[in-house]
Amino acid sequence: MTKISRRTFNGLLGAAGAISTFGISGCTFGSDRVVVIGGGFGGATAAKYLKRYNPSLDVTLIDAEKSHYTCPFSNTVLAGMNSMAFINRSFDALSAKHGVKVVHATVTAIDGAAKKVVTADGQSFSYDKCIVSPGIDMKWGALAGYDEAASHIMPHAWKAGPQTELLKKQIDAMADGGVVLISSPGNPFRCPPGPYERASLIAHYLKAKKPKSKVIILDSKDDFAKSGLFKEGWEKLYEKNLEWVPAAKGGKVASVDAKGGVVATDFDKFKPAVANIIPPQTAGVVAIKSGLADKSGFCPVDPNTFESTQVKDVYVIGDSCIAGAMPKSGYSASSQAKVAAAAIVAVLKGDKPGVFSAINTCYSLLNPDYGISVAAVFEVKEGKIAGVPNSGGVSPKGANAQFRKKEADFASGWYASISQDSWG
Amino acid sequence: MKKRLLTAGVCLAATLLMAPAAQSADAITVAADACAGCHGTDGRSLGAMPAFHEKKPAELKQILREYKTGKREATIMDRIVKGYSDEQLDAMVDYYTAKK
Ligand SMILES: Cc1cc2nc3c(=O)[nH]c(=O)nc-3n(C[C@H](O)[C@H](O)[C@H](O)COP(=O)(O)OP(=O)(O)OC[C@H]3O[C@@H](n4cnc5c(N)ncnc54)[C@H](O)[C@@H]3O)c2cc1C
Ligand code: HEC
Repeated sequence: MTKISRRTFNGLLGAAGAISTFGISGCTFGSDRVVVIGGGFGGATAAKYLKRYNPSLDVTLIDAEKSHYTCPFSNTVLAGMNSMAFINRSFDALSAKHGVKVVHATVTAIDGAAKKVVTADGQSFSYDKCIVSPGIDMKWGALAGYDEAASHIMPHAWKAGPQTELLKKQIDAMADGGVVLISSPGNPFRCPPGPYERASLIAHYLKAKKPKSKVIILDSKDDFAKSGLFKEGWEKLYEKNLEWVPAAKGGKVASVDAKGGVVATDFDKFKPAVANIIPPQTAGVVAIKSGLADKSGFCPVDPNTFESTQVKDVYVIGDSCIAGAMPKSGYSASSQAKVAAAAIVAVLKGDKPGVFSAINTCYSLLNPDYGISVAAVFEVKEGKIAGVPNSGGVSPKGANAQFRKKEADFASGWYASISQDSWG
Repeated sequence: MKKRLLTAGVCLAATLLMAPAAQSADAITVAADACAGCHGTDGRSLGAMPAFHEKKPAELKQILREYKTGKREATIMDRIVKGYSDEQLDAMVDYYTAKK
């Protein structure tokens, strides 16, 4: 941005003489070090925007994996619409284009007293500020019989990668007439509409390839995100291939016996051809081990900045944090990352953190031409993140096929944009 | 050491030039960058989402107002614009269209 455009920008803002403290390089006395843990939606966006807001910062991003498989659009992989490569994001642009130091290592602890991050291979990184975005981990054992070993037989596929491939292999191998059972957990969990998009896209695949087969969702809840829109679509598209069983009708899964292939509720026992068990979740284990989580298993934060209320100078964003009305989504994580990055840049310069503003959006596909959405704008009110009144909401019910097609196209457009915005 | 002092001097000068420091500009940056998850970094969307870095500010401001009143059809922007004042929307359009 040139000086003139800056002045125009501020003139239009009506704040005379106001100039952003962002983007002025070379003004940090010595390089402040920020370590970012996790290169998913939250971490990658945070690293990139830290450098955009202050290029002179020394930013290190640590991820356990060589690249990141996104959960968004992983349901299209299950349905055979896209390949695993389509959902794979490289960290290369973060280093080459934005000057982020990318490290491949598993963080074992964040030492808030010594202000350093320690990895499994014995490396240690000192920080002035640390951003933590490790996503979720499964709460093994919370559902009787479902531990890590069980997930190799009955995949959760709630982290994308080998779990996605395993579930896809099982669905592909299933004979026509088989049942794909999805167990959906109670709130809160990663991506509230995710299980229902998954059920839809698997039903789409079955309808074409294995028409005598069926998806059954056993739900621990009686309602779910965008339920009105999903149910409307299911009636039209998947009357024969999809069934949803709410908790009130005995849908809550009580236990699983992975080796025996059995999924049990309090009333029934199922032996499905494929079982996709989405178990209860917690913040990423590294956040819990570092003293960032409370009894809920997630991490309380200052809603204006995402700084942990339990460990100073550590900021928790994304699925791991407790963010009031913001759902656990990739869009939320990425929007929170920008708020946290701006706050850190301001605070390191001795300024006050800026004003909180964030968005969430979640598109879901019922088939390649049928999209629905939810959107919300957030502010901090009375110390909590809340939706701005009279804004946001879900797409209209009863919309025509053209509208649903547009939303499906925008879902792909969203995925292209956020991929570029976070990792590109 | 010398370089550091020089930088410090330049920064001090810059800070003085820019006083009083601005809350509002920072707030617009943060608010506007939240839109980039759909419209792309700097509004340079690559896919189906409309890009706006090369469009005229007056036109975009007008469109946003029409989303708010319902005069213009939208799939999702009608729900989003209602979260902001017209002044905030204008400032965000300026932020994006000023980017080269
Ligand atoms: C099926 C499905 C569909 C979804 N669809 C959508 C959608 O359409 N739109 C949407 O907005 N959201 C969607 N989501 C939700 C979205 O995936 C998450 O909300 C988002 O990934 C959260 O971002 P994050 O940064 O918190 O965690 P993640 O994106 O999971 O990133 C965490 C990263 O941290 C790394 N990590 C973890 N622990 C360590 C450690 N100890 N050391 C080093 N690295 C570590 C991991 O390797 C990973 O790369 C979906 C989720 C699922 C499961
Ligand atoms: C959920 C994704 C999403 C988010 C978030 C979003 N937009 Fe949009 N935007 C769209 C879509 C889709 C359209 C096309 C109209 C429609 O169908 O709603 C659009 C259209 C626009 C247009 C008109 C562009 C043109 O050339 O016609 C402007 C301007 C705009 N958005 C600005 C913004 C601003 C400013 C924000 C942040 C406050 C924002 N958008 C956030 C999806 C989004």
